[in-house]
Amino acid sequence: MAAVGHAGRSSSAGPGLDAPPAPRRGLDIRARETRAGYLFTLPSLLVLFLFVAGPALYAFYLSLFSWSLLNHMHFVGFANFVNLVHLPLFWTAVGNTVVFAAVVVPTQTLVALGIATVMNQNLPARGFFRLAFFFPAISSSAAISIIFMWIYNKFGILNSFLGGLHLYGPNWLANPAYALKAIMIMNIWTTSGYFMVVFLAGLQAVPRELYEAAAIDGASAWQTFRSVTVPLLRPTTFFIVVMGVIGTLQMFDQAFILSGGTGGPLHSTTTIVLLVYQFIFSYGKVGLGAATTVLLFVFTLLATIGINRWLGTATQY
Amino acid sequence: MVKAHGRGRGVARGIYFLILVGGALLMFVPFAWSLSTSLKGLSQAMTYPPIWWPHPFALQNYVKIWSIVPIGQWFVNSLLVASAVTAANLVFDSLAGYALARIEFRGRTLVYFGVVSMLMIPFQAVMLPLYILLKDMGLLDNYGGMIAPVAVSAMGIFLMRQAFLALPQELEDAARIDGAGRFRMFLQLSLPLVTPTLLTLALMIFLASWNNFLLPLLVANRAALWTVPLGIVMFQQEYFVNWPYLMAAAVLATLPVGIVFLLFQRWFIRGVATTGLK
Repeated sequence: MAAVGHAGRSSSAGPGLDAPPAPRRGLDIRARETRAGYLFTLPSLLVLFLFVAGPALYAFYLSLFSWSLLNHMHFVGFANFVNLVHLPLFWTAVGNTVVFAAVVVPTQTLVALGIATVMNQNLPARGFFRLAFFFPAISSSAAISIIFMWIYNKFGILNSFLGGLHLYGPNWLANPAYALKAIMIMNIWTTSGYFMVVFLAGLQAVPRELYEAAAIDGASAWQTFRSVTVPLLRPTTFFIVVMGVIGTLQMFDQAFILSGGTGGPLHSTTTIVLLVYQFIFSYGKVGLGAATTVLLFVFTLLATIGINRWLGTATQY
Repeated sequence: MVKAHGRGRGVARGIYFLILVGGALLMFVPFAWSLSTSLKGLSQAMTYPPIWWPHPFALQNYVKIWSIVPIGQWFVNSLLVASAVTAANLVFDSLAGYALARIEFRGRTLVYFGVVSMLMIPFQAVMLPLYILLKDMGLLDNYGGMIAPVAVSAMGIFLMRQAFLALPQELEDAARIDGAGRFRMFLQLSLPLVTPTLLTLALMIFLASWNNFLLPLLVANRAALWTVPLGIVMFQQEYFVNWPYLMAAAVLATLPVGIVFLLFQRWFIRGVATTGLK
């Protein structure tokens, strides 16, 4: 922060006090502007490079070494990647993460779109409802995870409710067939309201006249939704799907907390990022963790490109 | 139009309203259940089928947990870290956002794309190299390690840039004729005009930092440095059978966020709606 204060002072004192002679002024302004531009952006660029871009590049470097944090690093080339693709646990983590993303992203997108559409109907108490749906999204993932652990308890409120409906309530978090599903439900519950607010903003940008024209043409509510709302929301949907995919591919907090850091039962909740965590803190295999990080970058990039191909081009009306 | 479909629309609106009520209830129940459990004695909390209304109200859970775990210290840590992160972001993000919006300098496009591309690298993805970096920099087990990595946000820069772009050019032209330097123009002229966006940014950053679980998990080994989210998770792993205590801690952790959100909800919604970014 001291650096910023200094930067500001020097760039503000210069031009005002000693104004240069007229002929050179044009050139000087450009030079001064460039200097000011870099002084203003430099602190941010430094922090972003040090803690975001730098670590990303560092992961590529580390993925070529064998290292336990305690011993000496030694270069192993691509051996970590070879070991990784022969490690069943890696594919379990990839499978869990992909299944998680494949279920959560479409569900939360559809739920968010549905609620936003309903909310956009000028119903009473809209402010209250928006608040209620948004609240889980801004609550701490740690607090919510602990609350849901209690809800998912074998003798908890959820199974009591399911029992009332004569449905079978499993021991959600202790049963490998249900633990990931339980986290999916919790995740959808948390994020849908957030994306609903984004959809609602998109919906409010749709010109009124289009709905009026559809009504005059005698279109049903469903026809209007399919032919007016959905195509016009495409940029919003694109954004929401991209954010959803990036978010779910990096899922960590909830899996970590609900499994007590183990990714259990039977690795059924081990996500890619949780595996990276375990590679450092449980197995002491930095190189394998870095290789996993690099592959996660690749997956995320490929997924983003794929969505861009599918949803990226905006529809013009 | 309204007349022609009057009754049908009325029924549809009724159904829509019921959907919203049902949905809102679904959002509300987990919080209500945690509040209910937090007010029960242990044996009452474990009865099956569960009961909703605690009898009698076991308010002592809220007193007890303060002596079992240093939850007061966690709140102080969370407040300290979140305030520092917010202050840093307000300074750095608005400076960079201003330059990218209002100063024409050589390489600006490159800087802008550099910043935007940082949006593509989620925090969790760089956990491993970041941890090693923090270790080498001596930033483990201190507040600095929980503040520095999130002192600047690419999203925040983007948000501020959008706000500064919307200001009219004439203002600055007039100031320049008066001989004002860039920093004075930024501080005295432009910054006051984007106060609403600054507030939105402050709220979003504060909340993200307050809720951050992974960074304190990586950095803070000593219990004295834990923040509220990390603390309650560690508490859960130790006292996993005493749900009334845990729910009381969860309620306490949610409460400040809830109050801040209720007071400033308009600014949150604005932030999400204008950037669409978290």
